[in-house]
Amino acid sequence: MAEKIVVSSVGLVTALGLGIEANMQAMRQLRSGLRHPVHLQTIHAGEFVMGEVEYSNRQMAELLQLPADHNYSRTALLALVAMQEIINSFDIELLRKEPLALINAGTVGGMCTVEDLYPDFIAPGTGDYIRYIDSLDCAESTEDIAAYYKLKPLMATISTACSSSANALMLGARMIKQGLVKRAICGGCDALSRFTLNGFNSLKNVAKEPCKPFDRDRVGLNLGEGAAYLLLETEASAKERGARILAELSGYCNSNDAYHPTAPSPYGEGAYNTMQQAMKMAGLQPGDIGYINAHGTATINNDIAEGTAISRLFDGKIPYFSSTKPFTGHTLAAAGAIEAIFSIAAMREGIVLPNMNFDTPMEELPLAPNTQLVEHVDIQHVLSNSFGFGGNNVSLAFSAL
Amino acid sequence: MSKAMYIKAASCISPQHSYGEGPMLEPLMSSDTGMLHVVEQDYRKYISPVAIRRMSRLLKMSITAGMQCLADAGVQPDAIITGTGRGSVSDMEHFLSDMITLKEEALNPTYFIQSTYNSVNGWLALQTKCTKYNETFVHRGLSFELALLDAQLTLNEANDTQNILAGGFDEMTDYYHVVKGKIGYWKKEQIDSLELLQHGNTDGTIGGEGASFFVLSNDKGNARAAIAALKVLHKPGVAEMQNAINEMLEQNGLVANDIDVVLSGMNGDAKQKKLFEAGTGMFGDGATVCAYKHLCGDFDTASGFGLWLANKIVSEQNIPTVTIQSGVRSDAIDKLLMVNHTITGDASLILLNSCK
Repeated sequence: MAEKIVVSSVGLVTALGLGIEANMQAMRQLRSGLRHPVHLQTIHAGEFVMGEVEYSNRQMAELLQLPADHNYSRTALLALVAMQEIINSFDIELLRKEPLALINAGTVGGMCTVEDLYPDFIAPGTGDYIRYIDSLDCAESTEDIAAYYKLKPLMATISTACSSSANALMLGARMIKQGLVKRAICGGCDALSRFTLNGFNSLKNVAKEPCKPFDRDRVGLNLGEGAAYLLLETEASAKERGARILAELSGYCNSNDAYHPTAPSPYGEGAYNTMQQAMKMAGLQPGDIGYINAHGTATINNDIAEGTAISRLFDGKIPYFSSTKPFTGHTLAAAGAIEAIFSIAAMREGIVLPNMNFDTPMEELPLAPNTQLVEHVDIQHVLSNSFGFGGNNVSLAFSAL
Repeated sequence: MSKAMYIKAASCISPQHSYGEGPMLEPLMSSDTGMLHVVEQDYRKYISPVAIRRMSRLLKMSITAGMQCLADAGVQPDAIITGTGRGSVSDMEHFLSDMITLKEEALNPTYFIQSTYNSVNGWLALQTKCTKYNETFVHRGLSFELALLDAQLTLNEANDTQNILAGGFDEMTDYYHVVKGKIGYWKKEQIDSLELLQHGNTDGTIGGEGASFFVLSNDKGNARAAIAALKVLHKPGVAEMQNAINEMLEQNGLVANDIDVVLSGMNGDAKQKKLFEAGTGMFGDGATVCAYKHLCGDFDTASGFGLWLANKIVSEQNIPTVTIQSGVRSDAIDKLLMVNHTITGDASLILLNSCK
């Protein structure tokens, strides 16, 4: 029997706030983070609500005590702020001394900065903007985390669209299992950018109003931003340092739809297989799953595919499930890690997070997510889904220990 | 200890003749514009006419190299794992420029969709109907090596035969060349790309591009070369890199003298000369030192071209003259060590064995 991989520390920042407590409290109070953006400079600001993190770049720089001439993009600032909770919960010397991996994920790196400076980038000459010239790379935030916290990890950066940080978690677990490293900090970060907003808008799948996952009248997603990281190690390693274990990462699966560049199979083949394989790895039956944190973007395609997959897999005995994207927006590369943390917290607190804004079941599929906060539920195992462009799917299974 | 990864097939679209029928690396291609572009191929072989019209060069060359590699190996992939420094950067540039010019109105989604880093992987999965493990690394100059590392993890986990399609790809664009020129990536003087390594006393290198794919397997099949060991190093100094080389040799039961060929990623940049020489210098006169970036240019996944060349050298037991920097071989080539440094200072080591 292979060693159990456990989650022993987490940190995140979303439109709901900084840290796990602020995020859970907001969701318990049914308080969404969606609003018209104030930091993102776009002509569409008054048109769409988004899950924008409340802090300005300046406020985050202050939280991090950065010098005025720092060159961190908003993406990197979100990552550094999210990481604080992990770093503060840990003997940092242990992280520096023992073999560590840092697996980060992003979809557009520091595009939020680059899109403002791009005309200067490609024009002749030079200027103060030069310090941001490398910030487009997704790996920039990864290296920023290591440099800021003076870590010397094995680093990798993943980009598989909306499943990116779920893949980061999976890779970290695999590296630990094979003895490459003792611990892995895994997660992702994405800041709102005009590039991403206009990209999704050109696909006509962004909702102006708060999104309605799994609803008949859903019209699309809300974009969000954020960053989240989870510290993985073996159960033995966590016990050895007397750490509080939050959950076991008991199963995972990465698979591909191989169906269409941007749309899933309407039958949800990919989603079905991914969830099934993750459960199989964890040795779980459908009846063991207490809660599913669905990908639930509220796009026409995702929800019917994911909903169909859930109904097929759980055939008649559908567990509590909800999408938390009406709270945070779709945070893209960060979503997998953010929602993994929500899933773990829900399991630990014995609550089911509500799927806000759901009114009417889809006509094709009489399936209803959980719409209220349910308390005092005994949850032993949860699934967290992340499905992305390019058919990239990941499901993670977490179990109570 | 990781298992060997057998290289069942390699396919590479590069600035040289490295793809398709006909003699490899002949005639030699060169440029004096500070950047090299791939020798374009007939991409209709693997891509439908409808899809091909909208595709950027990067997508076309990457999908083609990947599909050809699978055809050469005669297998279906059990996983598709790739690395790219910047993905389809021309699509990104296109969408970004349009967004700025058109002031966020009436944008074409195709450029946005194709600009996502995993779009090549999505297409490859679609074309091969491969629903299994699919991963894209985007860690600058180590993107390709991280894909190899993941392939190694995947093979280590396997109980059955696995054929993994692993690759690296990047494209060079005029804008990208301008942008990185501002932070000293490229040589200021105009040179013939084939003479890049003779200009090692000035700063900078030349830009390049390419798509390299490999079928890596735990099954030897007809493979003639295997990746025995792999290591990525983040911004190592001389001592750290030399220690890593010694450690890799030791873990594989080797001494420096056992290495027949050192394939260096030296790129003609005076700033990096010391690091490269510290690596190649460890092997004395016994090893033939070869290089490749004067053939493909330097880019985030240039080591993909390097691995294609390394596989060719070991498989064919023949070193293309144009790659030789020092030493001449007449005996068998059993062990080849690739030592690469990226422009941003990261490094990687890849040890190849011949399979007899």
